Amino acid sequence: MTTTALTADPAPQRGHRRAVLRRQLAPYAFILPFIAVFAAFGVYPMIFTLRLSFTDWRGSGTATWIGIDNYTYLLTNPAFWGSMANSGVLWLLIVPAQLVLGVLIAVALDNAKLRLRGFYRVAFLVPFVTPLVAVAQIWVVIFDRDYGVVNGLLGLVGLPDVGWLTTSAWAKPTLALLFLWKTTGFVVIILLSGLQAIDRSVYDAAEIDGANRLRRLWSITVPLLKRTLLFVVVLQTLAVFQMFAEPYVVTDGGPYGSTTTAGLYLYDHINRADLGTGAANSFLLVIVVMLMSLLFVRLLRTED
Amino acid sequence: MRRTPRHRLVLATGALSAGLVLAACGPSIDGGDGKEENAGDALQAPSEDSPSGEITIWNRSGDLYNVFDAAIDDFNEVYPDIEVDHQTVDIDAKLQNTLITGSDVPDGVFLDDAKVGGYADYLWDLREVLDPYLEDIAPQKVDVNSLDGSIYGVPFDLNPGLLFYNDAALSEAGVDATSIETYDDLLDAAREYQEAEPGSGPIHLEQSAFLGQLQLEMFAGQLATSLADADGELRLDTPEYLRILEWLDTVRSEGLGTRAEYLSPSDVGALEATDQVFYPWAIWFNFAPQQQLTETRGDWRAMPLPAWEEGGARGGAMGGSSFVLPKDGENADLAWLFYEFLMYDEAGYTAVYGPNDIYPDGLNTSIPAYEPAADPDDPLFGPIEAMGGQDLWSTAVEAGEEIPGGAPIPAWWDGAVDYLGVNIQRMLDGDMTPEEVLAQSSEDIQENLIDRQ
Amino acid sequence: MTAATRVRVRPRPPRVTAGVRTAGTQAFLWVLTVAFLAPVVWAVVSAFKPATAIVSDPLGLDIGTLTWDNFKLMFADVPIGQGFVNTAIVLAAKGSITLFCAPLAGYAFAKYRFPGRNLLFGTVLITLMLPVIVLIIPLLLEMKELGWVNTYQALILPGAVDAFAIFWMRQVIAEIPDELLDAARIDGCGEFGIFTRIVLPVIKPAMAGLAVLTVMNIYNDFVWPVVVASSERMATLQVVLSTLAQNITGNRIGADYATVTGELLAAVSVAMIPLLIIFVFLQKHFINGILAGSMKG
Repeated sequence: MTTTALTADPAPQRGHRRAVLRRQLAPYAFILPFIAVFAAFGVYPMIFTLRLSFTDWRGSGTATWIGIDNYTYLLTNPAFWGSMANSGVLWLLIVPAQLVLGVLIAVALDNAKLRLRGFYRVAFLVPFVTPLVAVAQIWVVIFDRDYGVVNGLLGLVGLPDVGWLTTSAWAKPTLALLFLWKTTGFVVIILLSGLQAIDRSVYDAAEIDGANRLRRLWSITVPLLKRTLLFVVVLQTLAVFQMFAEPYVVTDGGPYGSTTTAGLYLYDHINRADLGTGAANSFLLVIVVMLMSLLFVRLLRTED
Repeated sequence: MRRTPRHRLVLATGALSAGLVLAACGPSIDGGDGKEENAGDALQAPSEDSPSGEITIWNRSGDLYNVFDAAIDDFNEVYPDIEVDHQTVDIDAKLQNTLITGSDVPDGVFLDDAKVGGYADYLWDLREVLDPYLEDIAPQKVDVNSLDGSIYGVPFDLNPGLLFYNDAALSEAGVDATSIETYDDLLDAAREYQEAEPGSGPIHLEQSAFLGQLQLEMFAGQLATSLADADGELRLDTPEYLRILEWLDTVRSEGLGTRAEYLSPSDVGALEATDQVFYPWAIWFNFAPQQQLTETRGDWRAMPLPAWEEGGARGGAMGGSSFVLPKDGENADLAWLFYEFLMYDEAGYTAVYGPNDIYPDGLNTSIPAYEPAADPDDPLFGPIEAMGGQDLWSTAVEAGEEIPGGAPIPAWWDGAVDYLGVNIQRMLDGDMTPEEVLAQSSEDIQENLIDRQ
Repeated sequence: MTAATRVRVRPRPPRVTAGVRTAGTQAFLWVLTVAFLAPVVWAVVSAFKPATAIVSDPLGLDIGTLTWDNFKLMFADVPIGQGFVNTAIVLAAKGSITLFCAPLAGYAFAKYRFPGRNLLFGTVLITLMLPVIVLIIPLLLEMKELGWVNTYQALILPGAVDAFAIFWMRQVIAEIPDELLDAARIDGCGEFGIFTRIVLPVIKPAMAGLAVLTVMNIYNDFVWPVVVASSERMATLQVVLSTLAQNITGNRIGADYATVTGELLAAVSVAMIPLLIIFVFLQKHFINGILAGSMKG
């Protein structure tokens, strides 16, 4: 697991001994500030949580060691699987749509001759820089069934009101829309960075061949962008399964628990001071997310 | 005194070894004989004549903050040396964590009755200081603050349920509301109104899971029952609850209701359009005719709740708040003096309920839980113009006196909303029968809340 | 895939279609831009409308009735000024720590092989996958032991070294050719000197991107500050916002929907504007920074 070999010293002479020693010690010095903070406020609470997950503890008094009870309780509880399923559905609503939209926008913006290019790049990033608590509140107001802007606009074209946040059928798509709106700008920038790495001459060749734009996109751009796309998928998978603040502010997990995401369900235990179950829940979530990430990486490998 | 985990912290600038950290962190763990010391948990009032110190009081923002803030001056006339630091705080988000860490703990906190039980471990037992007043406090309020023989909250307000109705609209339709005495009468009146006003949904059906469950508890309170008995045993799958749910289900199946969240824009719309004319709710609904219903302002009246059976109790409580005193607060004894003054001293409760800058006619969205303050003949707030000049004080006080005791609130009440509250909504969607709601919710609450305490 | 290999040979498209294409692209981008900007614009404009009009006529706009009332009420109701001060303090301190530690550690992970490296970097990756909420209680107890609850240190130190920042910096620095570093070494440059004189200048654009991203994360952070800064004097901007938001979401008795919505939109506007201004001024650095830190590795 650990590598002990140092990169070969270019000139292994006596005078260089001190340099070699310095070079051996340098990385430790460089990571020391990070390690100090990370050990104290990252590793320590993580291990604490791991231990907590095998106990029954309510935040006061002594904790009781109960082995894997918290894990079996969760794994046999329909509500736990329901929260995973909710996050799964949100993932399906968000990630494919975001990839398609992101690639389309990024490809359009990748053209240096495009007019207003700078303006568009900024405009798409505006939602990304707004505070989440704030935009979640805006969502509540504009998607209100009776007095929201969205239904007002639908009314103008003669469509009936939709219970965006009050029906289980629509609450997930509405939440997914918030997430898409908030983060697509960032995805576009990441994809743009991937596009810049693509050699222009590939396109020129295709253009001479007369391949139309969609075909060029699908058969040239997408395969060359695969690594970047994978990075986006992993990043967004993490974000979707940990999604907490959005449903917390916008729907509070309702209606009927249809937006109780994995992140929000986890918070429910903590809010009820059932800290052991909360800890167990988070490690189950980490396992799911890790497996998904590995799966994506594996998929990518087999296609290569 | 504090019961906090005795874990030691290895703060490790250089502690790279995970094993080292692992050995030292985590709460102390034992077999859990869980004996809790009870002696010394009862708060004692300070003995000196004019005690001094600073107290930190948490309140939520809004009208009540302003009301209590204005009353601080009156308090300082009696206790000039107690300085009150009155803060607005997102209590739901912060109290739990503050109590767990025990740092910067406030001396007094404004809290929903339904949440008091959940924090009992961290709170002073107020048996001794409340003792002189207990006789005179509404029994429902004592019950909701009691757990295992201790009392954890200073009861603030009593929230009797009332039947609010749009008198003008009903008269116009030829419906005599004053003859309603039972919930069956209410159904008949609703049918009659609907006949005169086709397309209306006369009775309010609550769409928020939390408030729906709160309203259910008001109905149940009339039948002297609640989700759990004094020993914390679940008692949901009972004929009383079935009776109530069947009634709600009838309103739904006959199309006699307007389904909306309490005072959401669509709810207000139906009230203003006189589509919705009956609102069985806590006294605080009167905020609506006073502040929100500009069109039907003045048309609204209130009467005691209908009874479930002829001659049955017509009072039930819905919601309400109390003040709790965390054990880790530095000057909890002084905070008790603050609440004692506000609640049980005439100058105090008059400052709170009587006319003030915030409520020129007096605070009329609840009534005092302290009976000497709730004298039917000596109103603290005046007639309400938005309700046609009705003397709501005497109606509410009399309804309050009829609220049966014996309805404690279990510590897991809030968590039950995910099951019972949600299942009631499913029933109102037509997806569950009343029997199914009771059976399913009982099973889920037992398994996920009671068994996992 | 087979379709791609069987590309039909067609004559070059005439100029007209190129024009149509550009128009199509422009239309596509315009529609999306409007959708992306509309909610923010609506919120800021509505904050100036009378509270009742926001609810009763969300789409309408009567210039004559525009007012500062929502803002006045909001400033009187919540300590938003204090919130700005606290956020600024946390931003300066926490941001500096991240921008110092992350590239340095990223450099070590990318360019040195040392015992424990993989283990440490693996831990970084696991932290990236662990939901933040779950660390809250253990961290809170830690703060308590240190006596740090309601202090600036508590707002600043946990999370000061973001796992994502380390990960990103490692990727960026890995792109720097080893020859460049070795050349400097032969010239007698010390290890830290290589970092400051070679690595830092090369990754400057990515650092700018990281800076903007860090500022945004800290500015918008909400869960941890709500928990650890329970006292009013320590409340950051986001904490102030969430206190206000509870009035709408919490079914509060006596909270008038319209008034609260007005106050909230005013607060939202005030909270958004500084960041938007910072962003518009720094957007070039940010975008170029992310582009520079492109994920090739």
